[in-house]
Amino acid sequence: MSNAAARNADLRGRLSLPAILTGILGILSLVVLVIDFWPYLANGQVPQALFSPDETDFDQILFHFSTLPRLAMAFLCGAGLALAGAAIQTVLRNPLASPTTLGVGAGVEFALTLFVLLAPASLAMFQEAFALAGGLIALGAVYLIAANRGNATLWLILAGMIVNLLLQSGSQIILLFNEQYLQSIFMWGAGDLAQNGWEDMQFVWPRVLMGMIAILALSRPLDLLALGDDTAGSLGAKVTVLRLLILGLAVFITASVISAAGMIGFIGLAIPAALRIAGLSRSRDLMIYSLFTGGFALLIVDFVVRQFNGLGGDPLPTGAATALFGAPFIIFMLRKARIMPGTQNDDQHSDQQIISKTALSIALAVSLVIGVVFSLFVSLDGNGFVILGWQDSSLDILIGRSERTFAAMICGAALAVSGTLIQRVGRNPLASPEITGVSSATALAMILALAILGFGQRAELMVIGAAGGIASLLVLLALCRKFTHAPHYMLLNGLAMTAILGAMVRIVLTRSGTQTSILMSWLAGTTYFTNMNEVMIVAGVTGALLILAIALRRPLELASLGTDQSVSLGLGISGFQFAMMLLAAILAASATLLVGPLSFVGLMAPHLARVAGYRLAGGHLLGAVLIGVNVMMVAEWLARNMIYPAQLPTGLIAALIGTGYFLILAIRKR
Amino acid sequence: MNILRALVCPVLLCAALIGATMSPVMADPIEIEHERGILRLDTPAKRIATINWSFTESVIALGLDPVAIADPQDYVDWVAKPDLPESFVDLGPRASPNLEALRAAKPDLIITVPDIGMAYEKLAEIAPVLELKLFDGKNPAFETAREVFDKIARATGRETLAQAYLENVDQKLREYGKRVKTAIGPDQKINVVFFFDESNVGIFADTSLPGSVMTAMDVPVAYDGEVNKWGFGRGGLEILAPYAKETLVYTTPVPEVILDKLLNSPIWKVMDFSRNNRVYELPVVWAYGGVPSALRFARLLTETIESGPQQ
Repeated sequence: MSNAAARNADLRGRLSLPAILTGILGILSLVVLVIDFWPYLANGQVPQALFSPDETDFDQILFHFSTLPRLAMAFLCGAGLALAGAAIQTVLRNPLASPTTLGVGAGVEFALTLFVLLAPASLAMFQEAFALAGGLIALGAVYLIAANRGNATLWLILAGMIVNLLLQSGSQIILLFNEQYLQSIFMWGAGDLAQNGWEDMQFVWPRVLMGMIAILALSRPLDLLALGDDTAGSLGAKVTVLRLLILGLAVFITASVISAAGMIGFIGLAIPAALRIAGLSRSRDLMIYSLFTGGFALLIVDFVVRQFNGLGGDPLPTGAATALFGAPFIIFMLRKARIMPGTQNDDQHSDQQIISKTALSIALAVSLVIGVVFSLFVSLDGNGFVILGWQDSSLDILIGRSERTFAAMICGAALAVSGTLIQRVGRNPLASPEITGVSSATALAMILALAILGFGQRAELMVIGAAGGIASLLVLLALCRKFTHAPHYMLLNGLAMTAILGAMVRIVLTRSGTQTSILMSWLAGTTYFTNMNEVMIVAGVTGALLILAIALRRPLELASLGTDQSVSLGLGISGFQFAMMLLAAILAASATLLVGPLSFVGLMAPHLARVAGYRLAGGHLLGAVLIGVNVMMVAEWLARNMIYPAQLPTGLIAALIGTGYFLILAIRKR
Repeated sequence: MNILRALVCPVLLCAALIGATMSPVMADPIEIEHERGILRLDTPAKRIATINWSFTESVIALGLDPVAIADPQDYVDWVAKPDLPESFVDLGPRASPNLEALRAAKPDLIITVPDIGMAYEKLAEIAPVLELKLFDGKNPAFETAREVFDKIARATGRETLAQAYLENVDQKLREYGKRVKTAIGPDQKINVVFFFDESNVGIFADTSLPGSVMTAMDVPVAYDGEVNKWGFGRGGLEILAPYAKETLVYTTPVPEVILDKLLNSPIWKVMDFSRNNRVYELPVVWAYGGVPSALRFARLLTETIESGPQQ
């Protein structure tokens, strides 16, 4: 605890820093208010504009019913989310926790999307309860996956990422079948603060205020929680009840805010984390400061965003813009805050091998062969199974099916190798290729080229995508050039980059009209557009890199032991780790080029392979490839046939399989 | 329109001449300029697959039943008319038409849009593909729709029918235009808007399909601000403020909840068009469609305005 003492001393030294920060934001907010109120300040009509606007003066009506509620909404949403973030961070003792990183936002969004599009009007009164339940279930799932792990900080974040990805996939599936309403849902999903009257405000303020008061009332016990379960327990606080209560309230605030204003990312993460770095450690102070700083910050960001919304142009959604501002800040914060412990030896699986490795390998190989034959010759046509008979067009149909099946399988292999390398080198069993940010960057480049710049040819898009992937790789390398904790930094920087890119994708999606659904299915990972040449090229790259990785299996083995041991064994481990990460990133980018940023296979296949008993690096790689290929093959068949003639993105099915697996795993571990 | 025809005709003529001299055996192959160069068909297409509603309705209007249609369920909700044929192959979503279903339908022509240009090669393996752009951000959408209609007519060998159809459309539009102007008065312009949600609206300018149809009807379009590729501007309700003195027509379908909130919001209520009762609700018509939707829009606009504003 000498660390805490040092921090206290430090705190006394710069006690005023959080106050200065809040003060500056407060003054800027005041400036915003003065600018917005100026016309009425100048002619002394402020009270009138505030309370009883002149019904014949359009500007005054607009000010009273659009600008004012928007200002209030921005402050309230910012304050609510920041306070919720501070509460969640304190309860979970995790400086990277927040409503968005822990899947609460995605849970609420999923529930609301489901509700708005599918529930009959008669159930409208249950909408709020439904949204709240969505958020709580998501948080519960994240907690379940991460509970009882050695390195709770990282596990929670990674579990949050998994749940986020799953729920976003879920929302996308629903949206894909309601594409006529995509535009409105996307505006809301991207965090839209535009107001039209005080109705939303009247919905939000009592809820958020109630939640705030309750959390602040509970904040004294929170300080006990911050000391750790043992201490708090001995002090007599009913730890579990209190934790759940506060988390529930935080989710309640988040759900209310998101119901009204959509996804507004990063305020809940960045504000409390920044204040903590600035020296606040007592939870009550942290929360009160977070409340005001968060409110001011969103007010200012929204003001900036409003300036870009000229009449007639496509509006820029505030929530997505917040993520653009917030995510770079996370990268900055990662360098300031020492949140990553130096060693990481958690999750040493003590599970028994399920069956013998040889038997498993043979079983996987057999299922692969049978699966390929089945995939090519059997399909569903809405009435039942159809076995492909011999006709003129059979050969063409077989070629079409094999293009897609092989594309999925190759991607499964590429991502499995990529994931194995990242998990081994990062010594983190929940790490996956997506979180290097390379696939997101590849996807973003292709989407920008397609939707904004108007490139339509696949070959052009591939080149642009590859360029995007490489550029993001370089950025990542530049950010991680200090090798001390390279793998962790890489993962967390990747997380931040994924968030930035995700925000940009959301912005693009709000303005791409009828192409949106194409982009969405592609984002979720579809084999629809692939052709055999591309499959062959990616297969070649994957094969070559797999062989390279297997050739390097000994140093890879040492790298997975942990830096300390391997350094003492005389290996220049950082450079090697780095090269392996590079390899992994190239593989992830190739897979993305082929079918889009497929999630989960890169996470699941290596994990499953290890649990199944493939311990040594070489076997681990091959086992993961076998599993990855099998999973993708199944996902691809389901995607093509489940709801014929419509087709689901393969990545969504793979994501569903993958998350299901992790939830079962998490439950079995208890 | 005339300029375009003047440009296109000589090209086609030349192409036809070259075609005639190069392959004298062929009896008049049909040649149509599209996004991928020139499409040659030996005989008029009979089994058409349509990947976009604009083509679906145009083919049906030309008296031919498409054998395969993308997104037929949503067509019923958003395009409404003309009615879909009794039997056809459902291709699933427009964004990814099911290739096996498409192949099973045995089309002899697939009409598609550049939006799914990435799938062009795959479609071309199944049947000849006509890839036509509907919105380019420059040409008025109605003119593009007419060209598309012409091209579909040539591909199916129904030029005479198409010409008669278009002449009828022109005549109807003039007639509807006069009726609308009589109904709204000489000084009024019309805003055609649609609702994204309770605080965001889109408003059609003269390059959009509704806007360019109104131009053809000689009915003045109110909105003259910034627009996107589809010819509409987008923003909060305040985007309507400068045009509040004019008449307003909003398109459907709109979810009941959104419509309720919007029409009862203070900003909406303070606008001149709602204070002075100049708000009209248009029945379902596809605002991004082809010539049949253009005609339907003109008719519905006229009937809606003649039957008086919404109460």
